[in-house]
Amino acid sequence: MNSRFPMWLQTVYVAWSNLLAYRVNFFLLVIGPALVFFFVKFSLWSSIYEQQGNRELAGLSREAMLGYQAMVLIVSLLAQGHNSTRLAEDIRLGRITAYLIYPFSLFEFHASSFIALQSVQIITSSVVFLMAISLGLFTAINLVFVVKGLVLCFFVSLLWFLIQYCLGLLAFWLEQTWVMRVLFQIIAQFLSGSILPLEFFPQGLRDALMFSPFPYLTWVPAKTMLTGEGSIIYAVGILCFWIMVASLLARLIWNRGLRMYTGAGM
Amino acid sequence: MGSLQSLWKRDFIEKAAVKPLYLEVRRGEIIGLLGPNGAGKTTLMKMFTGIVVPTAGQLRVLGFEPAKRDLYFRQKIALVMGQKSQLWWDIPAMDSLQLLMRYYEIPKNLFLERVHYLASLLEVEPQLQVHIRKLSLGERMKLELMACLLHDPQIIFLDEPTIGLDLIAQRKIREFLLNYHRERGVTVILTSHYMADVTALCQRIVLVMNGEKHFDGPIRAFEGLMGQEKYVKFFFSQAQNEQHPLLIPWHPSFGNQGLEVELRVPEDKLKDVCAAILQNLPVTDFQTEKMPVERVMQELLSRTGA
Repeated sequence: MNSRFPMWLQTVYVAWSNLLAYRVNFFLLVIGPALVFFFVKFSLWSSIYEQQGNRELAGLSREAMLGYQAMVLIVSLLAQGHNSTRLAEDIRLGRITAYLIYPFSLFEFHASSFIALQSVQIITSSVVFLMAISLGLFTAINLVFVVKGLVLCFFVSLLWFLIQYCLGLLAFWLEQTWVMRVLFQIIAQFLSGSILPLEFFPQGLRDALMFSPFPYLTWVPAKTMLTGEGSIIYAVGILCFWIMVASLLARLIWNRGLRMYTGAGM
Repeated sequence: MGSLQSLWKRDFIEKAAVKPLYLEVRRGEIIGLLGPNGAGKTTLMKMFTGIVVPTAGQLRVLGFEPAKRDLYFRQKIALVMGQKSQLWWDIPAMDSLQLLMRYYEIPKNLFLERVHYLASLLEVEPQLQVHIRKLSLGERMKLELMACLLHDPQIIFLDEPTIGLDLIAQRKIREFLLNYHRERGVTVILTSHYMADVTALCQRIVLVMNGEKHFDGPIRAFEGLMGQEKYVKFFFSQAQNEQHPLLIPWHPSFGNQGLEVELRVPEDKLKDVCAAILQNLPVTDFQTEKMPVERVMQELLSRTGA
């Protein structure tokens, strides 16, 4: 493992160079989600509460809702930045050929690129976190809760990466995977509480969702950071279970998919 | 209508890209895989390198089964694809090479030594700090070659390494490959549509058509496949009759409104035929050439209808 560390490190370095190669693209990547938050979510929820005479909705006050939405942004930056568009394109156009030849696997390459992106996202999310505090979006911050939430975000990011990796690998069978990826993104955002907190969902649906990985992607870590609610050990256990499922699935799809690979364009 | 129908039902045709084929390559050989488009050459290359998994048969490269993509196997081979860049588009070439240094675990001193050696041979030292996307095709191809040779592979697979390059760049790459082979004794398997690549580099030719091997032997034997014939081209000061009795037995091919003719003459009759034509017709110039590989290919293809 030690001898592979320099390979990972150098790939992370190259991934950073790639990320920074196009400056405008990079700045949009960094500030885009924050802009969406302030122009869309902040204004939208402020208007909704205003229309309702600033009454509580699903037990959440205006301040609690805005704090929750800001935390959703931070969780998504920390854990859900990676997507599989590049991987799917590379498979479709036969660009993964090089990684079948090099003594460094495609999985290792994508995992290194994921680490590179996440390290940038840590800086971005820290800036957003400080901005949210300065704007008074978090009424009370408990350092222990934040640390617990960060631990959860680490596991969520692993799960998110593996889910995205599996979705990307489907390009071995499907010429176009973007519709499926967009659908997954929308479903995941809705069921994870990224759009509406799960308090808005009927209790039965909420209980059923807790058997799926979705609430653990956003709602659980955001709530943990804000209120410290729920057992972190239980949540980590559930996430580890889904990480294991996703990694087995990724392995299976890779082994099967590689047999379909034709190295197009060579 | 066809597009709508294809939403419900699609017909698939199963076709074997490569049929049963026996091929043995000795260490240090340079062999050329020849054949028309879709013959199965590149599929063979993909199978040799482990990119494509064969559905049947046995394949051993350096004692490894390529489809298993063993780490040690991957450290011993290199692949250059003329139509596909393996270098990272958005970073300087040197950064890509440093990444490969890590992948192939090349000691830093040895890496710098090899970079210097290869860059000076290929004359790309100034390009090392330039982003790949900003390089010309020829410069990029030289760097692709350099990248694939950094780890001193035992076998190099070259898939159309000179495609799209101008004549000077093609010649330089051929010279480089020949010198490199002479120095290192590396095994090279090449596919190319440029016969100049094949004739300059390959000692042995394997002709593949419709996924089957049609010829496997030295390049001289391949040239002799059509019999011991030579092509002779005559240039005249006056247009010649296409039915001229001196020309007609030698499969004449007229050009430039009868001012040029190309004949296919057996080597043992070449002297007499040329003497007769020079004596009896207003010849201004003439040239001979052996049956070139390209023509042998064309002839074989037209015979088999491939």
